[in-house]
Amino acid sequence: MAKKIPVKDFEPKIVVFACNWCSYPAADAAGINRMQYPPNVRIIRTMCMGRVNPGHVLKAFEMGADGVLVSGCHFEDCHYSFGARKAAEQYKKLEQIVRMLGFEKERIRQEFISAAEFPKFVKVVREMVEQVQKLGPTPLKGVRKVPSRKQVESIMESPPS
Amino acid sequence: MMDVGRHPHIKLFTHTEVLEVTGKAGNFKVKILHRARFVDENECTACGDCAEVCPVVAPNEFDEGLGLRRAIYSPFSQAVPSAYIRSDMDCLGTNPIACGKCVEVCQKKCVNLDMPDKIEVLEVGAIIVATGIDYYDPREASEYGYTRFQNVVNSIELERLLSPSGPSGGKLVRFTDQKPPKRVSFIQCVGSRCIRRDIPYCSRICCMNAVKSALLIREMYPDAQIDIFYIDIRAFGKGFEQFYQRALQEGNINFVRGKPSRLEEDPKTGDLIILSENVETGKTERLRTSMVILSEAVVPAANSHELAKVLGARTDARGFFLPKDACGDPITSTNEGIYLCGCSTGPKDITDSIAEASGAAVRAAQYLSPYKLPEVKEEIPDYDISGPLRVGVFVCHCGSNIAGVLDVDMLKIYAASLPDVVFSDNLLFACAESTQRLIQEKILENKLNRVVVAACTPRTHEPIFRETLRKVGLNPYLLEMANIRDQCSWVHGMNPVSASAKAKDLIRMAVAKARNLEPLEQQEMEIGHNVMVIGGGISGLETAIQLAKRDYTVYLVEKSKQVGGWVKELRILYPSGMSGQELIDTKLKEINKEKIKIFTEAAIENISGFVGNFEVTLRAANGKPAPETLQVGAIVIATGFELYGPSKGEFGYQKYPNIITNMELEYLLKPQDKFIFQNKPLKHVSFIQCVGSRGPDGLPECSRYCCQAAIKQAIALQKMGIQATVFNRDIRVYHHEAETMYREARKLGVTFIRYTPENPPKLVGDKQLKALQFREPVLKKDIEVPTDLLVLSVGMRPSRKSIAEIQRFIKVPLGMDGFVLEKHPKFGPVETNIEGVFICGCIQGPKDISDSIGQANAVAAKVDALLARSTILMEPITSVINEELCRGCGTCVDVCEFGAISLQEKEGAQVALVNEALCKGCGTCATYCPTGAIDIRHFRDQQIESMLKAFLLEEDRV
Repeated sequence: MAKKIPVKDFEPKIVVFACNWCSYPAADAAGINRMQYPPNVRIIRTMCMGRVNPGHVLKAFEMGADGVLVSGCHFEDCHYSFGARKAAEQYKKLEQIVRMLGFEKERIRQEFISAAEFPKFVKVVREMVEQVQKLGPTPLKGVRKVPSRKQVESIMESPPS
Repeated sequence: MMDVGRHPHIKLFTHTEVLEVTGKAGNFKVKILHRARFVDENECTACGDCAEVCPVVAPNEFDEGLGLRRAIYSPFSQAVPSAYIRSDMDCLGTNPIACGKCVEVCQKKCVNLDMPDKIEVLEVGAIIVATGIDYYDPREASEYGYTRFQNVVNSIELERLLSPSGPSGGKLVRFTDQKPPKRVSFIQCVGSRCIRRDIPYCSRICCMNAVKSALLIREMYPDAQIDIFYIDIRAFGKGFEQFYQRALQEGNINFVRGKPSRLEEDPKTGDLIILSENVETGKTERLRTSMVILSEAVVPAANSHELAKVLGARTDARGFFLPKDACGDPITSTNEGIYLCGCSTGPKDITDSIAEASGAAVRAAQYLSPYKLPEVKEEIPDYDISGPLRVGVFVCHCGSNIAGVLDVDMLKIYAASLPDVVFSDNLLFACAESTQRLIQEKILENKLNRVVVAACTPRTHEPIFRETLRKVGLNPYLLEMANIRDQCSWVHGMNPVSASAKAKDLIRMAVAKARNLEPLEQQEMEIGHNVMVIGGGISGLETAIQLAKRDYTVYLVEKSKQVGGWVKELRILYPSGMSGQELIDTKLKEINKEKIKIFTEAAIENISGFVGNFEVTLRAANGKPAPETLQVGAIVIATGFELYGPSKGEFGYQKYPNIITNMELEYLLKPQDKFIFQNKPLKHVSFIQCVGSRGPDGLPECSRYCCQAAIKQAIALQKMGIQATVFNRDIRVYHHEAETMYREARKLGVTFIRYTPENPPKLVGDKQLKALQFREPVLKKDIEVPTDLLVLSVGMRPSRKSIAEIQRFIKVPLGMDGFVLEKHPKFGPVETNIEGVFICGCIQGPKDISDSIGQANAVAAKVDALLARSTILMEPITSVINEELCRGCGTCVDVCEFGAISLQEKEGAQVALVNEALCKGCGTCATYCPTGAIDIRHFRDQQIESMLKAFLLEEDRV
């Protein structure tokens, strides 16, 4: 099963953008209920998932994130009533950009998780970590710093999916 | 619950009973008994150490006994107050030799096993009863074998089983074999609508609850068979009918009309056999199913009779509190100064309960001081934040909650090594009062100008630490929190090494953001204290009356010659028996002429401004120039509904002369006791329900009022010796007393016949309608019902004209049904997503009189809550436009549904302008701006980027 994992014991770095009203409290509730998930995620709070634009996600990748999760309220629960809906529109754009850039679409994910759905939050994080672990480190790793020759080559060689 | 728990003006007493009430409205003395909780409520941090060492295991009441808890426990995960509680029944005892482990383990010394009960006397102006409901014990309906058969569960148990945080983790399995059920059958009206069980009323919530649960089960088990046995599906609320239709069409749920007579268990498999008569075919059927859910009735809260005695208020025989007038004033109890809301007066859903709750609040407030809140001025010292960055980091231990997992000493040293950090320290409990003062001392001592608190979640504690900063004069927005408890030590308890590494990242990210924070000022804005109410129907009138009682000046605008709307046309109201005009007259007597200015035959010429500062210009509707400009702080829209007008030929309307609508019948019935139509006495009158409701033509949802109205009219006819027949799809009499009226109608001999939209009754007759023909399913025969007059019960529909008129000035969003969309269907039924603009009555969706009055009171409460101060503070987290980058394309204007952005001419070019009073700071506009000209304060691009950078690029620096 572990055959396809390119780097053994690879600990991916995953950025989570979570909205203040639903998904961030869901992450808190996971803690209150002492549910355990892998320590690979760092949550950045925004007021609404509508605040997160494709640029923020791409910036995270540019800086070497292995995966990005954008999470917010369900459409009908959105604190700002239209933010989540608009975020879903933006996410479509992001998917296109990611496809055009040629790296795995499994590195990004959008979820709608209400404050009560903390088990879902844990499940999504677990799945995300597992999935990114299978994909291996981001091809953009270290691009922002001076990349080594080997890294540049590996980027050139990795075929667009 | 969180809001109540931390509201500065609410004192919450849980685990408390009312012993005695003396005095009268405006001046009650209430003696209450605080039962000991054995844990200090103010000191407990809900760390859970005590529960961990507690050796006792007891059934968890919140999980209906399906899960377990300790003798010292938190009742459920979002409980308010969050403090733990000890059960005296389960605890091994106070003797430390017996146990006392919790006392030993608590680091904050909160557990006191000798805590006594306390009696306190409170002085209050008004009392609100919101005691809610209990559930009928389905064991009384022994034919369904609840508790005898393991796979029969009630709806509350099902709710816990389906909950992701419930005892089974959200998996629905059978109790006998722990396997997913192949077939789930719901039985409705267990106890409800049943005189034999002494529950004559409809429980109102169970139909939608069953449909919702059925759809959840459908999601979980796409192949399971799901049945719902019902008498009528009462999907009467806004959007409910569409939900029911979705269950019918997409949910593949089998709705069976009929109430099963009994259940049998197959002891080998644990399967259940349902015996029921299918009323649509007349056959008795035996149906094998794997699980049965009983939708049990709702009954008044236990002890409500005793409470009523203490309060001096009256209840009905079952124990529901009696309002003064169920139709015209559902909130006032029989004892002045005591108000009722929610299910204390009868079963209600969340939306209606919330509306009534707000209504009760505004009534109670009338006994308190006039609307202005006391203004507290406090001295805040000046604090100089100029000069180089000086960041202070405080790492909280939270007892052992953080320190037990993370290496807090290492974190303190690590924090000190981060750029611009000049101070770092550990705190045992950062939130404790004494520690707050310590933080303030350290801020002053070290001249800190940015503060990072690494502790729990900013969702609950950011306000506390912001206040700490504010008190020393440091701008509260220069605080950043690192959530190293809820999102680190608690979720990675098994992995302390990685957790400490993660905590380092979180602190580094918080410091990075703190270094990029800017001070923000909350702008104070003066607000007006007059209110504009548009629409003079029952809702508008009631809103105006209640607001005037709270000392606001109200401008009531009505387009026609008289106020009173539809209600004044009604012949008789149930259950009071007064006429619509009488109700309006009683309301008009309450009108305070000094406080309420009524403008009849007036329309809106223009509305401009924003919350607290609207400017409304009126014009006379008949064209006479009488413009008047009024300054108001809030606007209430109560323009009501229109009746559906059947198109020519719909159910023979205007084709036969003897077909009229129910409103036309109301006018005809009004003047005389003898009812004559076309100069002939009548023998047979038929009604057809749901004309223009629940269907593709007209309204997609239920119009709520028509079943009750038709029954009322049918009773009147029947009493005159005219045979009334009501063709219906479901009888939706959901009000507490309406079921009784329905029963009375049947006793009097009114015939009720079902039809489906596919097979409507056929009209028989040439020039005059002679009869209605329908197919009787059991006899399998066509039967003709002689009909001298056919009445079409027409539904409500949104008044497009008046809504369009409002929308010219205020962009209130509309729902799919064309009615104005509320802020939240459950939690904000009278608010719109535009601040300062409210809705009430039928502009939001069909309602009857008592619901409209409930909502009118609710809207008065919301307006009062907004305007009960001289200024309002505006949240400074808003969007800001960089005018140099803005090219005036207007994308943001279209994106923002709050209408907060507009384009303005500036130096010959268009630029976007943010109205900070309307902006809520969600940041969606910034995402859409094609030139990057929009940024969001406190969540600026640069601040988000600095956190990313700290996480991803700076890890190796230290």
